[in-house]
Amino acid sequence: MSRAAPDTRSILLAGVGGHGVLALSRIVSEGALAAGFDVRKSEIHGMSQRGGSVVSEVRYGSTVHSPLIPAGSADLLLSLELLEALRHLHRLRPDGQLLVSDQRITPAPSGAGPVSYPDDALARLLAAYPRALVLPAHEIAAGLGEPRAANMVMLGAFAARTPEIPQGIWEDTLEAAFRSDLVPVNLAAFRTGLERAGHA
Amino acid sequence: MKNRILLSGNEAIAEGALQAGARFAAAYPGTPSTEILETLSRRGGIRAEWAPNEKVAYEAAYGASLGGARALVAMKHVGVNVAADPLFSSSYSGVNGGLVLVSADDPAMHSSQNEQDNRQLARAAKIPVLEPSDSQEAKDFTVQAFDVSERFDTPVMLRVTTRICHSMSPVEAIRNATWPEAPLRRYDRDFRKYVLLPANARPRHAFVEARMLELGEFACGERRLNRIEWADRTIGVITGGVAYQYVKEALPGASVLKLGMPWPLPHRLVREFADGVDELYVVEELDPFIETEVRALGIPAVGKEIFPVTGELTPDIVSQGFGISGNGAEAPRDRQLPAAAVPPRPPVLCAGCGHRGVFFTLAKMGLIVTGDIGCYTLGALHPLESMDACLCMGASVGMAHGMEAALRSDGDERRVVGVIGDSTFMHSGIIGLINTVYNGGSSTILVLDNGTTAMTGHQDHPGTGVTAGGEASRRVDIAAVCRAVGVDRVREVDPYDMAALEAALEDELAAGEPSVIICRAVCRLVDRTPIAPSVRLEIECPGCGTCFELGCPAIDDIDGVAVVDPEVCCGCGLCVQVCPFCGLRIEGREPVEAT
Repeated sequence: MSRAAPDTRSILLAGVGGHGVLALSRIVSEGALAAGFDVRKSEIHGMSQRGGSVVSEVRYGSTVHSPLIPAGSADLLLSLELLEALRHLHRLRPDGQLLVSDQRITPAPSGAGPVSYPDDALARLLAAYPRALVLPAHEIAAGLGEPRAANMVMLGAFAARTPEIPQGIWEDTLEAAFRSDLVPVNLAAFRTGLERAGHA
Repeated sequence: MKNRILLSGNEAIAEGALQAGARFAAAYPGTPSTEILETLSRRGGIRAEWAPNEKVAYEAAYGASLGGARALVAMKHVGVNVAADPLFSSSYSGVNGGLVLVSADDPAMHSSQNEQDNRQLARAAKIPVLEPSDSQEAKDFTVQAFDVSERFDTPVMLRVTTRICHSMSPVEAIRNATWPEAPLRRYDRDFRKYVLLPANARPRHAFVEARMLELGEFACGERRLNRIEWADRTIGVITGGVAYQYVKEALPGASVLKLGMPWPLPHRLVREFADGVDELYVVEELDPFIETEVRALGIPAVGKEIFPVTGELTPDIVSQGFGISGNGAEAPRDRQLPAAAVPPRPPVLCAGCGHRGVFFTLAKMGLIVTGDIGCYTLGALHPLESMDACLCMGASVGMAHGMEAALRSDGDERRVVGVIGDSTFMHSGIIGLINTVYNGGSSTILVLDNGTTAMTGHQDHPGTGVTAGGEASRRVDIAAVCRAVGVDRVREVDPYDMAALEAALEDELAAGEPSVIICRAVCRLVDRTPIAPSVRLEIECPGCGTCFELGCPAIDDIDGVAVVDPEVCCGCGLCVQVCPFCGLRIEGREPVEAT
């Protein structure tokens, strides 16, 4: 029997180009590998820096085959933006966990008529997942002096919800992922996210 | 001691090339192949070069092979079309040092203009194909591809797809390990092998046919590449590439013939497998390549009746093809939420991008625009919508020439311009320009020079004067090249000055001879320093919507009124030029009278 073992965890990470979704998913994958899991991560390059939707999939467990998450079976959806969370919500299990940053970024018009940001995005997320963790990650990161560290705030929240991967692994992985001068602010962002999620 | 490190398929291929002792690698950037050469360049211990196009990359790698080195050449699937000429002939002349061609196919066209299946090209060129299913195999098969190449005197195609190239999985390796270069195989002149005159090529063709038969035998016995995983024998599945992973999740109990070397097809192994199972299926992405060959053996198999020919496979498509509801891990369909109706978020030209004003001007002038491959293809999309055709690398120049000839032949005076990027110009635009000059054309070509190969992630090229390894090189001057091939009318125009650009276009289109306008503006993702202080709105915006037509991500449409986001705006000033009310201002600059 080689199907993805029942212990497989499927994580969907979403955001907008420039958010650092791919950097985040790389750290999540490295952390899972360091914790001894088999890991598969998938993503699409090309448009990731140009304001388009970005999504990355990470699966870890004792044995994982497919890098892609089957329909409706993500265990956790982490989104750096509200609309992107809504876009991928149907891929989350009904009993899955939703972690979302409350940032709103209006999409560029696509020619399909004027774009209006759905005002009820957060309400719709909470209606479907009342226990969702919503964090002002962008504000927290900006408060630390580096708005781009919002992804590490959310990594902290993810770490708080991932008991199978020891805490120390995340900090080591994060430190190895950044240029040394960028480590302190990203580490601070991570710790703030961890703390906020722990209290939530 | 070996340990496990997480590598993408592309990084793993680079690792394999180093482990195999390759001395030379060449590539032209193209998603999803780009990171192979980038990784080799970063890792060092190998001469890794960007070539101006895939044909030259292949020829350089072939030359390195002749010289006795192991050589790797990497490109996206459509790049192999460009390299097809040397590829097909080198199949006849064979190799000296091992030669591996990485073809990175893009099922689903995540970042491509077609989704051709390059196993078909390998079959036509009569070379073997190796196809890994994850990063570990990407590394191992690369090493083995060099062995196969040298043992059978053939170029070898390592065929990968986006889901292999850009997925990461553990690989047994030591991070940043160093490997000795493979010894250089002695080069000796061999007129009958390497000089493909007809008299030499005829016996070489016979050699190629015999080689492919030998490779078919090899493929049957090489269990590191092709293996049978016996299990429940009521269902047998022949598969390979990433599809293997989906099959293992959808049908964990089925018997599987995993083909890591699908071409030439291992006939005896396929027969053994088919004889051992009740029902035979073939699961493969894109074309029914394996399926057709299996059926040609007289073996009944089910494939494209239940799996799509178009797009990429997914775990769900494979499960549904087999009529099973899923892999057991997922929620029942009726408990899943429907996909929410949310606005799409398409990629856009960046705030301050030098291409934006060009396309706005082209749209304003109502010109026919033959386009090309790069970020600037986004100029075809809403709201700029100013590109009529985009086909393949370099095609804008030839298309502009032919289209103008056709229109003028019947007195149609509509004006045509070709638009091409700097890297694409180096790739194959130059040769189109020579054609226009030689054949007495009068096209106007806009070269959008942002000083990098932007779309694929900012690789250098001959026009940047920097090599793949980051070393200074002789910069090829685009304007000088244009003049040298006989274009007398070459000028540079600031792409942020739309009035000047419009005037230049009017001039050149009326000139009646070939002309080139070079619009130089460094890519905003390369140089992020603001061009000017961010734009301010000086009046209460009446909401005319003109500036929205620029499609700038720094200008938000809030209930019909323009709001400039100072975090995103970099002061390029295009919106200042289009605002009919002079309400948009840049600090320290006089307002511009709208034209």
